[in-house]
Order: sequence, then structure tokens, then C-alpha cells
Amino acid sequence: MKDPYQVLGVSRSASDEEIKKAYRELAKKYHPDKYNDTPLADVASEKMKEVNEAYHAITAERKNGSPDSSRSSAYSSSYDSSYSSSYSNSYGSSHQSLFDEIRAMINGGNFSAAEEMLSGIPSDERNAEWYYLMGVVVYRKGFLSDAYNYFQTACRMDPSNEEYQSMFRRIQQQRSGSQGGYNASSSSAANDCCDICTCLICTDCLCNGCR
Amino acid sequence: MFGYLRPEREELKVREYELYRSVYCGLCKSLGKDYGIISRLTLSYDCTMLAMLTASLKSECSHVSDGRCRVNPLKKCLMCDIEGEAMHLAGAVSVIMTYYKLSDTIADSGFLKRTGARIIRALFKGSLKKAGKSYPEIESDVREMVQAQQIAEENDSGIDASADPTAKLLSKLCRRLSDDEMTQLVLERFGYYLGRWIYIIDAADDLEKDIKHHSFNPFIKEQRKTPEETYLFCNETLNMTAAQLIMAYELLELGSYKEILDNVVYHGLSFQQRECLFEKKSEKKDRKMKKQRHKDYYTFLSGGTDRR
Repeated sequence: MKDPYQVLGVSRSASDEEIKKAYRELAKKYHPDKYNDTPLADVASEKMKEVNEAYHAITAERKNGSPDSSRSSAYSSSYDSSYSSSYSNSYGSSHQSLFDEIRAMINGGNFSAAEEMLSGIPSDERNAEWYYLMGVVVYRKGFLSDAYNYFQTACRMDPSNEEYQSMFRRIQQQRSGSQGGYNASSSSAANDCCDICTCLICTDCLCNGCR
Repeated sequence: MFGYLRPEREELKVREYELYRSVYCGLCKSLGKDYGIISRLTLSYDCTMLAMLTASLKSECSHVSDGRCRVNPLKKCLMCDIEGEAMHLAGAVSVIMTYYKLSDTIADSGFLKRTGARIIRALFKGSLKKAGKSYPEIESDVREMVQAQQIAEENDSGIDASADPTAKLLSKLCRRLSDDEMTQLVLERFGYYLGRWIYIIDAADDLEKDIKHHSFNPFIKEQRKTPEETYLFCNETLNMTAAQLIMAYELLELGSYKEILDNVVYHGLSFQQRECLFEKKSEKKDRKMKKQRHKDYYTFLSGGTDRR
């Protein structure tokens, strides 16, 4: 096992507060919900487990004065990434069993087969679930723009479905630039601020000159 | 396609900035050593980033020493030498990519530009052979990418399919940087979105030019009512890619250079998006003038205190 202090990125002399803070930051960083539906979900949950174990090893060690590894595993949260909990049956179409099969494929990681089966469904029989599943498949592949369009269509066809909505919201949030990239809408405000600052500096400059 | 991956200077600490400069100069020197003086021309920010990423992942040792710039011998500079593969790999990638980029220019441009590119490409032929010998897989990957790109353009594909060849190339390249299976998986995703981001920002940056010259550009089909709206759409597409890229990046375990790489990922990408999409050339000039004004102001200030 790795040195728990190294895992959390803190020194051995760090205070309990610092350790807690480092743990919280890492837990936020590796949170499984963030990596849901990406191919990195397994890696992230593995890291999360490592961080959990390290944190509990340190707290146990500090409490008892000796490393206690037997307790640490009890704390590590397990994370279930399967889709089964969120099956939607709102459509009840003749393709439902087929869609269930495709969902099983997606859960099993067999994306190319899932995509092939989805493409085989004729275009007039494509319902909201088809668009959603297709979105999930291409999202995993990294075709983000297509995924966005599919999720959008799925939400338009079935606005009441929470599963489609939450996925669409997530992508929309990514597009806004709040999770990386550039947030274009806030730029004008920032520019105004800068202008005000420049104005103040210039005025200040003049005052200095007067003295 | 080059020069989009760079740190935002204003967000770097001075020592980080100097280290970055030293890697840049060190890569130039290493290129000269490996492939001859002409290959120094292929030096780019992206390959500097690749060198740092490699060194960081493989925890290779770096030494910084004093040196003189070959291009401008009057200028003294710090040069970083990295023990191990980092510089050689980055140099080879730089040479190979430049060669195939020139081939691409020859295929799509008018007579004058084509002839120019032919002459330059001929000069790089020797370097390419050498680089191809050291890293045959990279050369074949790049060749594959060029072919896939041609097919995507002929089919008039959408954004995702057009970005796919470049994304896949970077994905394969980044995968090479680690031997650990789990890290390879992360690097594969990181590389994929990095390549995708580079392709998309390059396409968005060239959009105006491509519309004028009737060249292929995946955003032509996606045009909105006004250019501003089109650029907002490009920005959203880039944001989505950056978000994925950051998610993969955060799973990497980095050693040295982490601060600089963090800067590239968290600030550099966003800065480039702003620069390429929302600041027209006139505004860029305006910004330069503003900077000059700031400088004047500071000299004025320091002069003012002296007088007092």
C-alpha cells in the first residue's frame, strides 16, 4: 500500500484540519458522479477508494497512535455504476426488450455492438430512449457534439424523463465553460471591471502628477 | 495546427516561467543535436508541452544550465536537459508532424505556396527519415491520421468525425507515455480530448479564411445567423471537450512540471479560446497598445518616486 500521506498530498506534520481539507478536495476531484458514463469511471472509483483508505488510515493512526489497516476497508464507499436503477418504461414500445438488451450491452462495456444494434433500428421507430442510448454510446466514444444533439432530441421528445434531463443538464453545464474552457458570457462583465480599474489607475496617475 | 497549447504567462510564477522557457530552449537544442540545425525551425509550444508531460509522467530528471541561443547568439538563456526519453520523443513528434503538415499544405494550396512548401519539405526529408527510424510507430500513426483526415474531409463529415483522426493520433501518442495499464487508460482519454480540442480550435480559428477560400471546415455547416453566434457555438463545443479533458487530466499522477501543466490545462486552454474566438485582430492590436500603456505607466511611476 502507498504511503497514505503521499496519497493525500500532505506532509506528515500536517494538522488534522489540513488533512481533512486535502481529503475533501480529493474526494470532490475523484467523485464518481463526475465520471459517470465516461470510460474512466473505474479509474476514478479506484482513486477514490485509495483516497478513502489513506484518509481513514491516517485518522485511525492519529487516534490510536498506530496504523490500523483492518478498519480502513470498512469505510471505503462502494459505488454502483450500473444503469439498472434508472430503467425507464415510459414508452412501452415493441422495442422495449431490445432497448433493455442494448442497455445491458452498454453496462457490459460492449459499445460498438450497442451502436450497431441502435443503428439497425429504422428511423421512423426511433423514440426518445433510442436517442438517449445513442447519446450515451457516442458520448463514451468521445463524439461530444453528436452526443449533445442526441440528448437534446431525447429531452425534446420526452421532457418528463429525469434520466434524460439530468444527462442533458450535465452536458449543458460542460458547454457553459464552468468546468473548463472559457466562459464567454462572463467576459463582458470582466472587461467592464478592467475598464473601471484602468480609469481609476489613470485618475490616480493624474493626482500623483498634481502633487 | 500548432501553438495552441501554452501556459498563460500572467498566471505563472516567475520560476515556473523560467523553467518553461528553459524547456523550450532545451528542446530547440535537442532538436538541433538529433536532427540538424534546420529541424530547429519545427520547434513549437505543443511539443514543449509534450516534453514536459513525458518528463512529468516518467519522473525523468532535468538539469538546467546556462547557454546561448543559436538563433540569436547575443541572447543568453537557460537550457533544460532532461535525462531520458522526453526531449527525443518531443523532437521526433515535432519533425514528423511538421513534415506531414507541409505535405498537407502541398495538397491543398495554390501554386506559389505549394512550391514553397515543397522546397521546405525537401529540406526536412532527412530529419523525417531519422525520426521515422527512431519512432516507426509514431510515423505510421501520423500517416494513418492523414489518410483518415482526407476521408473525413471528402465525406464532408461533421465536427466529431472530422476531429476524430487527430484525436486518435494524440490518444495513441499519449498512451505511449506510461507503462502502467490504468494510467494508459487515462492517458488515452486525455490524449483523445486534447487532440480533439486542438483540431476544433484550429478549425474555429481558420473558419473565416476557409469560408473565403471555399476550403473544408466542419463549422461551415454549423454556421449560425451571425459570426458571433457561430463563435459562441464553437466555444461551447470546445468547453465540452475541455471539461472531459480536465476530468481525465485530474486522474493523472504528475511529478515535476505539474504547476506548468496545470496552468496549461486550467488557464491556457481558456485563454486560447478567448484569444482565437472572441478577440479579432484589431482588438489584439488594441491589447498590445494597452500593454504598452501599462509599461509606460510603470516607468512613469518609478521615475516619479525617484524624483521625489
